[in-house]
Amino acid sequence: MDTTVYRPLDPADPADAAGTPAAGPPAVRARSLRKTYGTGEAAVHALDGVDVDFEQGHFTAIMGPSGSGKSTLMHLLAGLDTATGGHAFVGGTEVTGLGDDDLTRLRRDRVGFVFQSFNLLPMFTAKQNITLPVELAGRTVDTAWLDTLVRTLGLGARLEHRPSELSGGQQQRVAIARALIAQPDVVFADEPTGNLDSRSGAEVLSFLRRSVRELSRTIIMVTHDPTAAAYADRVVLIADGRIAGDIADPTPESVLAGLDALRTLELPDGDRSDKAVRA
Amino acid sequence: MLRLTLAQMRRSTGRLAAAGVAILIGTAFVAATLLAGGVLTRTTNDAIAARFADSDLVMGGPQAFAPQDADAIRAVDGVAAAEPVTATSVALEAGSRTVYQMAVPAPSDPRFDPLEVVEGALPSGPGQIAVPQDVADRLGLALGDEVANVRYVWDETDPEADAEEVRDELTVVGTLDDPYGAYAQMGGAAVVSAQDAATWAEEEGDDGTAPAVMVALDDDASLEAVRADLLAASPQDATAQTPDEYAQEAAAAQTGGEEVFTYVILAFAAVALVVAALVIANTFQVLVAQRTRTLALLRAVGANRRQLARSVLTEATILGVLSSLAGLVVGAGLVQVALLVARGADLGVPLPTTVTITPAVVLVPVLVGTFVTVLASFAPARAATRVSPLEALRPADAPRAGSGAGRVRLVLSLLLTVGGFALLAGGVALGMSGSPDVGLLAGVLGGALSFVGVVLGAVFWLPRVVGVVGRLLARTGPTARLATANTLRNPRRTTATSTALLIGVTLVAMMSTGAASARTSLSAALDDQYPVDVMVIGNGADGTVPQDVVAAVTAVEGVDDVVPATDLYAELPDGWGLAPTAVDPTEAAGVVRSPDTIAGLEPGTLLVPEGELQNAGLRVGETTRLTGPDGQTLDVVVALGSSETSLLTTQDARALAPDATTTRLWVSVDDPSDTDVVAAVQDAVAESGTPVEVVGAVVERAAMQSVVDTMLAVVVGLLGVAVVIALIGVANTLSLSVIERRRESATLRAIGLSRRRLRWLLAMEGMLIAGVGAVLGIALGVVYGWAGAATALSLLGDVSFAVPWRDVAIVLVVALAAGFLASVVPGRTAARTSPVAALAVD
Repeated sequence: MDTTVYRPLDPADPADAAGTPAAGPPAVRARSLRKTYGTGEAAVHALDGVDVDFEQGHFTAIMGPSGSGKSTLMHLLAGLDTATGGHAFVGGTEVTGLGDDDLTRLRRDRVGFVFQSFNLLPMFTAKQNITLPVELAGRTVDTAWLDTLVRTLGLGARLEHRPSELSGGQQQRVAIARALIAQPDVVFADEPTGNLDSRSGAEVLSFLRRSVRELSRTIIMVTHDPTAAAYADRVVLIADGRIAGDIADPTPESVLAGLDALRTLELPDGDRSDKAVRA
Repeated sequence: MLRLTLAQMRRSTGRLAAAGVAILIGTAFVAATLLAGGVLTRTTNDAIAARFADSDLVMGGPQAFAPQDADAIRAVDGVAAAEPVTATSVALEAGSRTVYQMAVPAPSDPRFDPLEVVEGALPSGPGQIAVPQDVADRLGLALGDEVANVRYVWDETDPEADAEEVRDELTVVGTLDDPYGAYAQMGGAAVVSAQDAATWAEEEGDDGTAPAVMVALDDDASLEAVRADLLAASPQDATAQTPDEYAQEAAAAQTGGEEVFTYVILAFAAVALVVAALVIANTFQVLVAQRTRTLALLRAVGANRRQLARSVLTEATILGVLSSLAGLVVGAGLVQVALLVARGADLGVPLPTTVTITPAVVLVPVLVGTFVTVLASFAPARAATRVSPLEALRPADAPRAGSGAGRVRLVLSLLLTVGGFALLAGGVALGMSGSPDVGLLAGVLGGALSFVGVVLGAVFWLPRVVGVVGRLLARTGPTARLATANTLRNPRRTTATSTALLIGVTLVAMMSTGAASARTSLSAALDDQYPVDVMVIGNGADGTVPQDVVAAVTAVEGVDDVVPATDLYAELPDGWGLAPTAVDPTEAAGVVRSPDTIAGLEPGTLLVPEGELQNAGLRVGETTRLTGPDGQTLDVVVALGSSETSLLTTQDARALAPDATTTRLWVSVDDPSDTDVVAAVQDAVAESGTPVEVVGAVVERAAMQSVVDTMLAVVVGLLGVAVVIALIGVANTLSLSVIERRRESATLRAIGLSRRRLRWLLAMEGMLIAGVGAVLGIALGVVYGWAGAATALSLLGDVSFAVPWRDVAIVLVVALAAGFLASVVPGRTAARTSPVAALAVD
């Protein structure tokens, strides 16, 4: 369903930087998004004018070496942090410029999160953790949807367990269910396999992919693991605060190749990309 | 290791500071009590010592000094002057006013004179007087005016003769001021010549001896040498002390009251310190839990258990010393400020300008404060030794203070609780059956034991109560459910925090329940003694209260109802005289405080109080014949009455004494606490010119109640300190939770909890902890208060069990408000947490 193929990127061409939209409006967009830490000489441009679109119903990975700005990009897109300049949109809503209350509501109703360290509430059962966002919103839980999630994620037997009684992979699956329970426009996953062994990691990634394919969700995942990124429909490469490449239908090999290209082209000294290549 | 301890303390400054405040308040309380006690003692001592002015020694002892003893003292080498301490009382009359006043002889040496002359001079011979300035003002005297000392002298040779009035005309030669309060306790002193004083004393039958002799020494005399010579020259067992020594001994013998006062207040300070200890123990437990990784790392690199425990105890010692010193400064500062205010208010007692810092005042609070802190940190220190080196290698989970508790604790707390309550019940039973002293002893012991048991066992049941309350709350929404779940995560910490509050609240509730029961019981006792609010009693020849007085009293504002009554005299068949009061039962029902007063009063019945029943030899239920003043007779059935006098109906009274008039009015007032009504009634009656007397039970009732209320206010105020400390503990616990749950708060923010609701979440946790502590404390306090009232007040008759609903509501509201307030600062910290923090990996 996605026909985009990998090609070298020309950063000077705005059409390239904006990515290639598929059918329908993009779920998430960034326009000239900038984030600067510090001022004057000490200023660090974590994001230096990023334009990117993320299509609905796709599983997109954002990849880049440490310090490339991939996490900052996610924070800004999700409204977790404030931008220095530019615009970010979730659906038709501009996230940049929203007040805290509106941002809270946006996160509650239209955005889901999956964290590296799961972040389940230890005193609640798996089921209570999953339904918490809906309850916070003061709505009733859609039991049909909950059943679908539980079935898809294989959590049936674990619903009454507390996080401490679950394995890391199971905890992360509970976290995915929690992120999807409110049927959000988009789910942001931040290194979701970072705390898992490779088998649990693979399991979680295939669940994420199934969520996109079978439940028509939109997921944006930040990772520095090429194997993880290969589960996505598309990989957006980022380096030095700019979009540096775009890989459609990635494989671990094509992702590694893209990263290598980044290293040789963008970072001749290559000192910061060791983590990205390690996997 | 010390460097490490200090480094860890620096990292936990905020936590430690909050715990330190708890100790600070406790020690400030102790220091202030000791200092205030010191000020009281010193004020008393100074007042006694001031009397001796600048004398060098005071001769005292069990034996009084006769005039020749004083001469012997004067003869001792090195003695410049000696003067017996005497005083006589005079009645000074000028114009139509009389002032009763102590008078002292003019001193033979200026060193014996504590007074200052404002105007004029001291008397130089008989017939002269110097009076205190305020007496001169009251009597309208100026220098040179005449004033009479009016005395009554008995002729000893003729015991049958009446006393003869003697008037000594005296000339005012000076007015006096008493700057050191030397005679403040006697209401000041006038000065007369030594001759006059001796004459008057002799005529009053005084043998001329004195309890003490003041001695002034020659300039070059050695105090110790003269002291020895003086003792040799004096009666046996005499003492020779400096004025300060003498005053100290005299004050100690005189009262001991201040010390009792100090001990009572120190008991309250002890309660505050126990609560502070709970807060400290809690804080250290959490600090140890937070540092588990560091501690494990230390163990892994070779620190042994003892070193870790020592590190925690060192930390507690440093904290204890610093907070106790701060507490000492705060306590001393408070007393000093109070002293300045009191001096400014001019209480008529010369107060010292500054507090006296003695070694005890410094050492006791600091040592007690430090000791309590170190003691409280023992359990956490032991927890620190239990950290295994392995824990350094595990991923950092949220630190958990140990949950659950040992079986020993369960058994001990059960034994104490059950045994204590049994003892308490026994005490109540004893008290009710007429031995309140033994009952009280058993009750206090049982109450204390059971309370220790309840507090020890709190960890077993308090979290359950929180759970039940929480489940009820959880229906209100997810925030409440989160709050409940959070509160139950650390049952032990929640218990300790809630218990700290429970202790203070229990004591406050106990005192106010006890006071409320005492008030109601006293009120019931007063109702029996004074059946009506105000009585107007005829005082003329025939005791009649005329109609215009009735009208005048009825017209007074605040008077609710006026019922006429008649005092009768009737004789029983055996000649025993009774003085029943006759009223109309229907009318009287409207004015009596308690319907018991006139219960059973109907025509043909004579209500007799229990005491009178025996004296008159009457039995309840028997029919007896009353004979009126003019010979009329009436047969009545004897019934037991609860008021102080016998009662008859007006109807029967008419049969017995047809001519009897109204001699007494029963008056009820609109507002029983309004004591001004009595004065208004008195004024109204005075205008009528009829000789009547107004007796206001309402005044006595109000006075009695205000005594109970004042005592209660003081006690509750003192216990309030413990409650304040406990609330610091609540705030402390909440802010610890906030720190521990940083990532969790961020997650909640990320999945859609607004800042406001995050703050509200913490507020609910605070209110849940405080509310449960308060409710349980109130329940316990009410039970203890009732038990205490039942034991102690049973002598008063029927004990009423009152629940001071207003106080209970106030305590609960204060606890909830404070739980809420305690969450404000932690809540702000939590709300500042950026959702990004949820993404952070340690």
